This record gives sequence, C-alpha cells and structure tokens, in this order.
Amino acid sequence: MNDQAKVIGTTSNAWHGVSTGFLIGAGLCLLTIFVALLSFIWTPYDVTDLNVTQKLLSPSFAHPFGTDHFGRDVLSMIMVGARNSLAVALVAVIIGAGIGTPLGLLAAARHGMVGEVVMRTNDLIFAFPSLLMAVMITAVFGPGAINAIVAIGIFNIPVFARVARGAAIGLWTREFILSARTAGKSTFLISIQHILPNLLGLLIVQGAIQFALGVVAEAGLSYVGLGAQPPMPSWGRMLAEAQTMIGFAPWLAIFPGFAIMIVVFGFGLVGDGLRDFLDPRIRQER
Amino acid sequence: MLINSRDHNVQIGEVLKCTLLRGRATFGLFLLVMVAAIALMSGAYAKDQLILGVPLEPPNLDPTSGAAAAVDAVVYGNVFEGLTRITQTGDVAPALAETWDVSPDGLSYIFRLRHGVKFHDGTDFDANDVKYSLERALAPESSNAQKALLSPIHQVDVLDPYSVKLTLSRPSIDLPYYLGWGDAVMVAQESAAKNATNPVGTGPFKYERWRRGDSLILVRNDQYWGAAPKVNSVVFKFIGDPAAAFSSMKAGDIDAFPNYPAPENVAEFESDPNFKVVTGASEGKVILAINNRHSPLNDVLVRRAISHALDKDAIIDGAMFGFGQPIGSHYTRQSPGYIDLVARYPHDIQRGKELLAQAGYPEGFSVSLRLPPRPYARRAGEIVASQLSEIGIDVRIENLEWAQWLDQVFKRHEFDLTIVEHIEPMDFGIYARSDYYFGYENPEFAALVAQYNVEVDANRRTALLRDIQQTLADDAVNGYLLQSARVGIWRADLNGLWIDTPIPANIAAGAYFDGADAAMETDRREAKPDNAFWTIIIPIVVVGLGVLVARSMGVLYLFGRVGSHVGTLLAASVVIFILMQIVPGDPASYMMGLNASPESIIALREQMGLDSPAFVRYFEWLGGVITGHFGISYTYQVPVGELIAERMQVSAPLALMAMIISLLIAIPVGVIAASRRGTAIDTGLNAVMQIGVALPNFWIAMLLIIVFAIQLKWFSAGGFVGWDAGLLAGVKGLFLPALALAAPQAAIIARVLRSSLLDTMNEDYIRTARAKGLSWEAALWRHAVRNALIPVLTIIGLQFPFLLAGGIIIENVFSLPGLGRLVFQAITQRDLMVVQSVVFVLVFAVVTVTFLIDLAYLAVDPRLRGRAQ
Repeated sequence: MNDQAKVIGTTSNAWHGVSTGFLIGAGLCLLTIFVALLSFIWTPYDVTDLNVTQKLLSPSFAHPFGTDHFGRDVLSMIMVGARNSLAVALVAVIIGAGIGTPLGLLAAARHGMVGEVVMRTNDLIFAFPSLLMAVMITAVFGPGAINAIVAIGIFNIPVFARVARGAAIGLWTREFILSARTAGKSTFLISIQHILPNLLGLLIVQGAIQFALGVVAEAGLSYVGLGAQPPMPSWGRMLAEAQTMIGFAPWLAIFPGFAIMIVVFGFGLVGDGLRDFLDPRIRQER
Repeated sequence: MLINSRDHNVQIGEVLKCTLLRGRATFGLFLLVMVAAIALMSGAYAKDQLILGVPLEPPNLDPTSGAAAAVDAVVYGNVFEGLTRITQTGDVAPALAETWDVSPDGLSYIFRLRHGVKFHDGTDFDANDVKYSLERALAPESSNAQKALLSPIHQVDVLDPYSVKLTLSRPSIDLPYYLGWGDAVMVAQESAAKNATNPVGTGPFKYERWRRGDSLILVRNDQYWGAAPKVNSVVFKFIGDPAAAFSSMKAGDIDAFPNYPAPENVAEFESDPNFKVVTGASEGKVILAINNRHSPLNDVLVRRAISHALDKDAIIDGAMFGFGQPIGSHYTRQSPGYIDLVARYPHDIQRGKELLAQAGYPEGFSVSLRLPPRPYARRAGEIVASQLSEIGIDVRIENLEWAQWLDQVFKRHEFDLTIVEHIEPMDFGIYARSDYYFGYENPEFAALVAQYNVEVDANRRTALLRDIQQTLADDAVNGYLLQSARVGIWRADLNGLWIDTPIPANIAAGAYFDGADAAMETDRREAKPDNAFWTIIIPIVVVGLGVLVARSMGVLYLFGRVGSHVGTLLAASVVIFILMQIVPGDPASYMMGLNASPESIIALREQMGLDSPAFVRYFEWLGGVITGHFGISYTYQVPVGELIAERMQVSAPLALMAMIISLLIAIPVGVIAASRRGTAIDTGLNAVMQIGVALPNFWIAMLLIIVFAIQLKWFSAGGFVGWDAGLLAGVKGLFLPALALAAPQAAIIARVLRSSLLDTMNEDYIRTARAKGLSWEAALWRHAVRNALIPVLTIIGLQFPFLLAGGIIIENVFSLPGLGRLVFQAITQRDLMVVQSVVFVLVFAVVTVTFLIDLAYLAVDPRLRGRAQ
C-alpha cells in the first residue's frame, strides 16, 4: 500500500490534516489583519499630513518604506491602506454570501419556475464582464470605497449562489434530509437547519477565495482611480501614482505591490488549506 | 460505469488528438514568430515621420463645432487655417488673408485673400468660402463654442473673389486676433459637414487616417501655398496616462511630447542625452475655482482667508515638481500689462484664521473639492486640502471624470471648490459672465471688460488691464495657484516645434530632424480586415452544430436551449440599456468643452438624437443590433460596429496570445506538479502558482515595462503599430501585455490542471489500468492527462471573453487601442452608444461560449445525454 500513499497528494506536516501552506497563509492573514487594526491606534506618521520638503526620500530608518511625492510615509500609507483593502473585500464577500447563499438554497429547494428564474438571473450576472461592470458601476454612482464594495459584492452573489445550489442539490437526495421531510418539516426549515450547516465549510472556503479576488479587484479599481478617494490611502492608487516615478523611486511601486501579493497569497493559501481539510476524500486518504 | 468511462475516454481522446496535433503546429508557428520577433528588435525607419504625443484624444476633428482644445491641438495650423493666424509669440499674422483694413469707426473690416490657395479636395479657396465659414459659425443652429467672440460680425459681403467685407454691429479691436483662433478657421461648403471625421482644410497637412483610441495620421499637402513642411507625415498619438507617456517616450515610440504630463520625470530626461527638455511659457492658469454663489464662499473675507492659506510654492513644488510660477490673478506673466499680485495674499495661516473668524467662522467649515482627472489637478488638490485644513476648513476631495466634471461642476455648478487649468489666452472675460461656473457677479468688473473690448487707445487699454487684474485679486474670486510651464520632451535631434503656446496648437510644419533626408518616401498599404471569411464560416459552424445537437438530442431540446440563451441576452440588453440611462453626464457637453454655450449644447443634443424618449431609443438600438448595426458613436461620429471591429484587431489577438502563453506555461507546470506530487518540486511549483494567482496583472505589467522596455529596450513600452506594419511587429507589440495578462491565468490553469489530474488518477479506470500493471507515471501520461484537460478547456472557454475585456487595465498601462480601452474611454466620455454595444458584444460572447460548452459536454458525455432527455 505504499503506492496508495503516493496518490494522496498535498504537502502535509506532522499536524493532523493541517498543511504547512495553511499555516503560512493563516500567519500572513493574521499579520495583515493585525497591521490594519494597529493603524487605527498607531501609525509611524500621519498619512493626511503632507510635507513636501520631505518628498521622495528613499527607505531609511526613519521611513522604512521611504516617502512619496507629497512627503508622506509609505509604511503608514500601506498600514492605513490595509484597512481599506480588507474592509472592501470583506464586506463584498459578506454581501455575496449573504444574498447568494439564500438564493442558491432556494433554487435547490424549489425546482421549476423559482429555481429556474434564480439561476437564469445568476447566469445573467455571470455573463457580464465583472471588472468592466465594476468600472461602470463606480462611474455611475461615483468613485469611492462604498461603491467599490457594491460593485465587487454584486459579482460575488452568483458565485455563492452557484456553490450553495450545487452542494445543496446533492444534499437533498441524502437519507437524513429524506427523513426530515417525512417528519413533516418545511422546505424552509430543512434548508436552514440541515442543508446550511452542511454547506458552511464549503462557503467559508469560497469566502476565502472570493476575499482574495476582492482584494485584487479593489486594487484594480483603485488603480484606475475608482476606489477609495484621497486622502484615504489605497494600495491600487499608490501603485498608479508610483508608475511615473518608478525610475527614481522604485520603492513606491514595490511595497504596495508586495502588500497586495501578501494578502492575496495568504487568503489563497488559507482557502486551499481549508478545502483540503474539509474535502472528505483527501482527508480520509491522508 | 466502467464502460461508460472508457467510451467517454475514447471520444474525448479522438477530439483531443486532433486538437493537440493542430496545437503542436500552432505552437511551432508561435515559437517561430517569437524568435523572429526577438531577432527583429530594432526596426530602422526613415526619420521623415514626426510622431507627437498628445494627452487628450479629440472627440472629433472639426474645430468649429465644439470647444474641446484637443481638436485644436491636432488640426489647428496643420489641417485648418484661418484668415489670420496667431504666431508663437502670440501676435496676429496674415494667413489666408494677406492684408486687412479697418474703417476709422472700427465697424467694418476688409480682408484681401491670398491667391491660388486650394483645399485638400482640390477646390479653390475664395471669398465665398469665407462668407460660408463665418456665417456657418454664427448661424443660430451653430454649435461653435466661440460664437460670443465672433458675434460683433453683423454681415459678411463678398466684394470680389479675393476680398471680403465684414460689417460689425459694435467695434471689436481684437477681431483679427479672434479670427486666428481655431474656432474661426476656413472650411469649404462641399466638405464642411464631414469635417468631424474627414477634415478638409487648406493647411500644410492633409488628414490621412484616424485609428481611434490610438493615433491620428496627417500627411504632407504637396499643393500647400506656403513653405512646404519638412516631414512627410505627422502622427499624433493619444496618451493620457502620465505613466504611459513616460514609458513610450523613453522607449522611443514617440519623437516629442510637446506638453508632457508628468513633470516628475523631467530630471530623468534632462540627464538623458537622447532627449532634450524644452520649457516654454503657456497660457495655462491653474486656479482653485471657488463657487461664489455658495455660502460661506460668497463672503469675500472667506475667499481672502483661503488665498492666505494657500502656499503656492509648496503646490508648485509638490504637484508640478517645480514647473510653474505663482500668479496673483487670472492673468499670465507674459501677457500685456501684467502686474505682479502674488504678494497680495502671502501664505499666512494666522491671517487666514483671523479673516475666517471675522467672517463668523472661527471654527472653520466643511466644503467639497471636486477634481477633474488631470494629474496637475489631482495632485494640487491633495495639497490644497491639506493646506486649507490648517486654517480650519475641512475639505472633502471628490475625484470626477472629465464628463462628470463638465456636467456637474462646469454646467450645473454643483461644487464648492475645484481645480482646473484655463488655457485660453487673456480670458478674463469669463469673469464678466455671471452664469459662468464660478458665478462671480460684479457689475463694476463687467463694465471694465466691456470698456476694454471697445477701447482703442493703447495706454488706456493697459490701464484697464491693470484694473481688471487688481479687481480679481482684491475680490479673491478664485485661488490663483500658478501659471503652468509647458514642458516639452523632444528627441535630441528634433527641431522646429513650437516652444511657447499662446494658443492650444501643435504646429508641425516647421519641424525637422537633424540630418534627416526628407525626400524619402514611405509606402503605406491599407490593410482591410477580411470579414467575408468570417461571415461565411460562422453560419456554417453554427448550423453544423445545431444539426448535430438536433440529431442527438431532439429539436425541441435544442430550441429550449437556444431560447433560454436568447432570453438571457434580451434580459442583458435591457439591463445594459437601463444602466446607460442612469449614467450621469451628458455626451453633448463633453464634446463641447469648457466654453460652450447652453444653446450650442442643446443643438448638439438634437443632432445626436438624445432628445427622443428612452424606450424609443432602446428599440432603435436593439433593432440595429439584430441587423448588425450598432449605431453611431457620439464622440467619434463613426459606426460603432466599425470601432468594435477595429479594436478587435488588437483585443482578439491579445487575448489569443495571452491564452497561448498561459497554456505554454500552465500545462508543463501543472503536469509536473501533479506527477511529482508531494515532493519538494510540487511544493515549490505550488508556491509559485499561489503567488502567480496573487499578483495583480497591472503590477506585473509595470515590472515588465521597467525591465524589458525601459532597461533592456527589447520591446515597446506602449502603443500598437497596427497589423499593416507586419505580423512580426504586431506580435512583438503585443508580447509584453499578453505576458502580463497570461501570468495569473497560467497560475489558475496550472492549479486546475494539477488538481484535475490528481482527481482523475483516483478514477476507477485508472485503478483498472494500474491493476493491469501500468506504472503510475504511464497511467498519468497515457490516460489521465487527456481527461484532466477537460476542465482546463472549460476554463479557457470561459476566460476568453473575459480576457477580451479584462485587459482593460493592461490596455491602459500599455496604451493599446483595444476593446477594453475603447469601452473605458467611452464610459468616461459618456459615449453610451459605444458602451452599451461593446458590453452587449461581450455578454453575447460569454453566453455563446457557455452555450457551446454546454453542447460540447453533452456531445462528449453520454451520461449527461440521458439526463437531458
């Protein structure tokens, strides 16, 4: 059976079922969350304080990540920017899961008209190129963090609806649901009490993935100037502003880019780790 | 189960074998192309073509029908000329009129025209053209933006073919000066209606071609009456993004950027012997415009407090990197009668606070600062906000797009503060218009301006100019920040462009390169896209697929599927149209620019058919879409279908290249990771894939530009040469953007492939194969890879339409004229026709691909077929 062990798959350490990737990811996530929270009570410098005489200083002890063209401290800006990135992505995931999951459950519980209408609407949203529509939504309602959240959140809805529906349809054929039905429970109660708890793991995994995608999407919107507005720092806008100065102030582009990468990488690893952990097939074989 | 699987396996195997075989050929061709492209690094071209970078693309090419300065910047003095012209020093000089006389009472002018002048279409220029041009500009339905300046003209009489008499209703000393503006250029009756898209003038260059979103080409007019231009052709490249301007200048894609948008890079260009930095005076006055209607800004004390709070030197240093000079009023330093009023409001926080307290706001107040999308405004805005907060004024910054700014700030006066550059020379007349956006109302000032307009005596004119400046400064109407410097970046061997710009123009006739042989002719071939091929192929494929499905699944089923997809498309069209209706911003006011009068905007709205009800327009649009007519673009005035087809020539190959590159990376990586699962190689590849997914593609793009375009100069940093420059040049131009787009895709595909391979290896038929004694590796290669590619194909199918538009940011970074940039620009310009049509085309592509994948699944998986029936 040595060969069998070979089929299994992923990197794992001595911990039961928890991969190294997951641990690294969790560490990076906690780090960014900590930095974002810390920025509420302390940053090395005030990010709304413009000091043109201190502009474009390269990284030093006083300014570990250097200063930008207005003399602001890049480290402080990245710390405050973390708040913005995490908040936008988080709320967008909550919107997506909060609206998408019930819709998916509904579509699974009711075949026929209701389910069909829900899934058609879903397909409709899916058919729109998301970044383009996000640009359009922010153009319609004006740029800003709130509208960026809405624009990203809307496109999370069909994702969660699909995941929820797909898994729920499978569950509806299982014995424990059948017995609940014979016991006379309503579809609504079954969906809430039996289906939903069984989907939680899957939804959390999807949440981590959508969160990571949300951070990138927010950076993209900010990059084209449609995300959080100045003086609130945002990573995407920092990158956009850095672009012309990359020749003589590369730190302006490097650090915000790394910040985005770390968050997305971290949440991606957490999502993967959780999926591997929750997927019964992989777990049992490990 | 086992039989089904094998069956399934065989079918897919057949399909894939063909694809892979063809794939191998494609791959070979692709490699060849890549190698050739790299070998072809430095294309030598004769320097008889001048390539100029300009920040804004003109909405159309008729300088007499709108106020967008971007039109003048391209056509004025190049394609079109007026009776007079404004020289580089700001003086009036003869152009199409050789001489003119004014009657002693100042009420009539006689212009004597140059003989032998021909329009580009070969027709003669004579007095009738002058009469036509001026009457057209002054007509009630005219949308000419400078009607007000020309309005003293009461009557135009043709005395003989070469002399014209203008009779005025009131004296206008400056009439010859205004006749030199772009809005008063001479047009011909036969061609005037088409000047928006095919301008016909008398200038030294003829219009040749406009690649929308990218560039405009003018060629030398060999029939020109004046000195022949030294270059054969002029290309205007539209590059709005400061970063793209920098990279394409550095990469040598353009010869000069006469008004360079990123002052931070000037030092780099100065130290580079390949370039020269040319600093000239401009008429640009950057002001912090204050809404004089709004309380508390209507209080002069408050406005003076704001003026004291502004530290102009810090703004010039921080926002303009030192390029600019402080001003104290709405008047530039080189203009006649300039007085220095900068010291009227020294930077003094304490004084500012005192004035605020005096006005009754000791605690300050809160205002909005709504900024247009130019770098100077956005940067100055952040500094101004921080400076005003020092005297207790809380400033909320709102960044607007140009169309929004024109609509909300300029037209509807919905703002407290804004920052904008006024580029018209000596335009203090706007302060006499109480309906102007900042709403300054002072009858004494209006009287000064009226007096100046009719005053003949030079000394008294100068005195009036002083009073005008002093009044504006005393009333602190706006915060006068700075006079912008016109920083041009030129190739070191380029000469003869204008250094100062008294009017918005890029006069190219005098430009020449050191040692260039201007006699060399370049041949240019028009490449027409071959649409006939596709119009035959697509119906055949669709019908073939339909017959196939109908035979295996039944006609009813097919109709059901088609029906539901058509339903999705219809619903999508309604959603798109409704979204378009609630987009704020008016395309007409965008096209008209800063100084447009309300009547001319209404006239234009009617012309564009914007006044009919929404549902009528919806059905018109939908009907057009079904018959393949997407309507006419508001801004470009050409059929939207043409625009889309033109952009597809960039976007489709870009998406395809990105797909190919991502597969070239993803397939080996995915297979190796799966076959070495659990080893250090797998872990390493996994980490790389995770990071690849985590990298925003625009960041990759930035890094690629730094390394391959700016440092190594292997590839061009931006812009697209067009396919008629050759296949290799085209592929080379798209390589970096395709790579940036491909990197995250490759990571996604590799991950899907890896996990799909591992799943497949758990299937029963693999166990069977293993039980028969096949080694793990052999089973993987012989059986698993083919099947594991199925989910990969699905992803590719689904990603392709998204790559078409998903390049929106990448296309911006590289300034490529693709679909994404078309729609992005169209959104910001409120060209709703273009936006709704492009979005619809993309949705159509997604729905169609989904449909085809559905069908393909049914075709390859017999298990699903049973369920469908």
